[in-house]
Amino acid sequence: MPLSCHGAVNELRGDTDYVFALAGNPNVGKSSMFNAFTGTGVVTANYPGKTVEINVATTRLGDLKIGLVDLPGTYALGAVSEDQWVARQGLLDGKPDAVIVILDATNLSRNLYMLLQLLDMGFPTVAALNLSDQARKMGIDIDDSKLSRILGIPVIPTVATRGEGLDLLLAAAASVAQERCEHPEQRNRRQLQYGSDIEDVVTALAADVERLLGEETFGVSPEGLALLLLENDKQFVELVREASPAPGTAGVSGASGAPSVSPGAPPKGNGHRRRHRHRRGRPGGAELLEKVRSASEAIEAEHGEQTPLRIIRERHGLAGSIAAEVQRQTHEHELFSQRMWHFTTAPATGIPLLIGVLGFVFAFLFIVGEFLSEAFSSLWAATLSPLIQGAIHAVFGEGVVAKILIWGPDAGIEAALAVGIPYVLTFYFLLAFLEDSGYLNSVAFLTDRIMHKLGLHGRSVIPLVAGAGCNVPAIIGTRVLTTKRERTIASTLIVLVPCSARTAVILGAVAGFAGWQWAIGVFAIVAALIFVVGLGLNKVLPGESTGLVMEMFPFRMPSLKSIAIKTWFRFKDFIFVATPIVLGGSLLLGLLYETGWIWALAAPLSPIVEGWLGLPSVAGLTLIFAVLRKELALQLLVTMAVVQYGPDASNLLNIMNPGQLFVYALVSTIYVPCVATIAVLGKELGWKRSAAIVTFTTALAVLIGGIAHRVILAVG
Amino acid sequence: MSSEKVEEYLEAIYKLQSPDRPLGTSELGKELGVAPASATEMAKRLQDKGYVRRGKKSGITLTKSGERAALELIRKHRIAERFLVDVLGMDWQYAHEEACKFEHIMSPDVEKRMEALLDNATTCPHGHPIPDEQGRTAPEKVRPLSSLKRCQTGIIAKIAEERRDLLEYLATLGLMPQRKVQVEQVAPFDGPMLIRVDGANYALGREIADKIWVKGEK
Repeated sequence: MPLSCHGAVNELRGDTDYVFALAGNPNVGKSSMFNAFTGTGVVTANYPGKTVEINVATTRLGDLKIGLVDLPGTYALGAVSEDQWVARQGLLDGKPDAVIVILDATNLSRNLYMLLQLLDMGFPTVAALNLSDQARKMGIDIDDSKLSRILGIPVIPTVATRGEGLDLLLAAAASVAQERCEHPEQRNRRQLQYGSDIEDVVTALAADVERLLGEETFGVSPEGLALLLLENDKQFVELVREASPAPGTAGVSGASGAPSVSPGAPPKGNGHRRRHRHRRGRPGGAELLEKVRSASEAIEAEHGEQTPLRIIRERHGLAGSIAAEVQRQTHEHELFSQRMWHFTTAPATGIPLLIGVLGFVFAFLFIVGEFLSEAFSSLWAATLSPLIQGAIHAVFGEGVVAKILIWGPDAGIEAALAVGIPYVLTFYFLLAFLEDSGYLNSVAFLTDRIMHKLGLHGRSVIPLVAGAGCNVPAIIGTRVLTTKRERTIASTLIVLVPCSARTAVILGAVAGFAGWQWAIGVFAIVAALIFVVGLGLNKVLPGESTGLVMEMFPFRMPSLKSIAIKTWFRFKDFIFVATPIVLGGSLLLGLLYETGWIWALAAPLSPIVEGWLGLPSVAGLTLIFAVLRKELALQLLVTMAVVQYGPDASNLLNIMNPGQLFVYALVSTIYVPCVATIAVLGKELGWKRSAAIVTFTTALAVLIGGIAHRVILAVG
Repeated sequence: MSSEKVEEYLEAIYKLQSPDRPLGTSELGKELGVAPASATEMAKRLQDKGYVRRGKKSGITLTKSGERAALELIRKHRIAERFLVDVLGMDWQYAHEEACKFEHIMSPDVEKRMEALLDNATTCPHGHPIPDEQGRTAPEKVRPLSSLKRCQTGIIAKIAEERRDLLEYLATLGLMPQRKVQVEQVAPFDGPMLIRVDGANYALGREIADKIWVKGEK
């Protein structure tokens, strides 16, 4: 269940002895480690408006109950990207007793960068030297005790996937936490140093911080704050500026009602507030910022480089020299996983492979999904469905009320069974596999160019293709995209991709009665629409598409356990969100249908359905029901046509000509996605954007349908 | 007045002078860590020696002979850095400070022998060009990273990007001036590039690769 991060972390603190945070670069085995520690009972938390999540759970070490906060994998802890912001915020809010930094032993220098940032900020830190087995295979030998000496923190070699070293790691973290608890002043002791020019400035500024701000250093050490300010970190600069009482109110700021802020706390954070301790009459913040500015100018004059970049460079330099000092290349060995790169990214081999994989994903979803879907539906019809119907009839009799109620749990759950489990679960499994193996990145690499034209980048291909199986998981799959803009574009396009249910309508109504050429026509028009809509959205939506900057991870054999856990968590989310909406929607439609009120809608809709689209009014009514499940459109069309026109209408050609069937399939493909899709859109993008997409696609469907009708009439 | 001090001043003036704004003694003093008064004093002496010109509007500028002397010093500094890094295996972050001492004590003979030992390297470890004996530097040719082909390498010269967020994000990944990049793969149809920096592989969209300018490596 999603909780606000504040709430989830605070709750965690309540009944644990220690809270540890897990931090590290992406793909260093952090999730494997978290899973190894925790198993089930994980709570996922979101900051409002952010898509990157924090996982929280508890574990035990002897008698100690330990809370674990799994931060998103990031390369650094700046405020420049959403994942970094969330990771840092998790640390500042969670105030962990120790931070466990997971280092990838195969790429030590780059991984040390973030560790140095954590040490700079004064967090009590322990390092796990993970993937040490792979590093050894590659001929990299790392002296962990020397690394520990240099960094001044415990360094524990681990192999998270096999659980090696994890107990030692927790114990080390606990002792670090204990020591920090006994000697809180250690926060202010930085063992590692950058160039003397930077360090002199940092020392001087740290003294200024203590003098001007007192104890309020926003959750980081004074030296850490000095560095953050020199790095011109937006968030901390803002906090320090606010710490300065406005002229005239100096000295009363504590009581002036100015909101006291914890760094970046969401405006409605629940009671997690701290008081500033301003000294009377000191324009602390402003004076500090002034000092930072002049120090920063001096550094810039000296190095001809902006101070933030200079500090980043120093940190890279320090990370690089530490790595060089502790590691030794015993032999050169390129792992199979590294050689795989050349194969999957070279155009000659990569593109055929990509087409093969996408085809496989599509076919797997289509075939396995459909098989499961039918299996579940018939299982449902044979077992629980009669039970539920019996129960409802027993309580409510045979009247209209009972009939309506049956629509809810019976038809509703069947819809969830027919869409949710088969397609969503299958897709999540595939997605987790592609993600964990590292192949997703090759896909992104190869398709980036085409996707860029649509305002997306390479990572969106997989969700788009998956949309052909079922839109619901595809939309959740857009989480691999980083900005809201990209996710909005991708979700809109996915909604236009005919899912298997709509394909069934196209094949059943059009190919079955009018001929396959008409069916291909529908697919061609929809494909063209997707492209045009993508181009259009890219132009219309504010902001620009971000360029692709993505690390290419080495291939790894995904662990079944981690895939299973990933799949389950995502699936659980879907069930909780989609099922209630599907049930509610079913009840509403049941009410309309069983009371016969639905026929009352025929008249108001007729100008559009009959006048503009040239369809019989009964066809328009079925489109309303298809919101529940798209394949219902066809089934209901036949049923309702028989009710109105008699048994002959079961051959649809008796009531509609091929052109009308074509328009019908086109409209039913493009207009409003099904209720499960709407539910997921609402959850992923917010209800406003969801409503916009629904409105847009409906308008588009009516527009295109009307044009198609007229073109067909004109051509004859 | 020691020659080392003169050299420090000449080097500082060379670094600081720019056609856009006049160099004053206070800025010069700040760079060298001395009071403006001593910088003024020194500037006068350098003027007497014919190394610098001082104008009310133009500020302090080097004369031709002053520039030759400064470039000679920079040449020694950069050769020394290269030597410390390439031959002695010193980390280049620390080579700079050490080279500051070397540059004052190297005789022309030592300088030439070091240069020969280094295969006549043309840039310092940071990627700056080493002036030749006549004080000429080969103009640095920069080109966009996107123009490199598979397996080619380059040193990042600059990143033509205004957005601070992106610049810093790239920098934290190690994509910043003076770092070496190698192109591992180029996707078809002007697609992204796969590059290698410091042991990690990144895919960069073309629009980002266009903004990263690289110079050739020796």
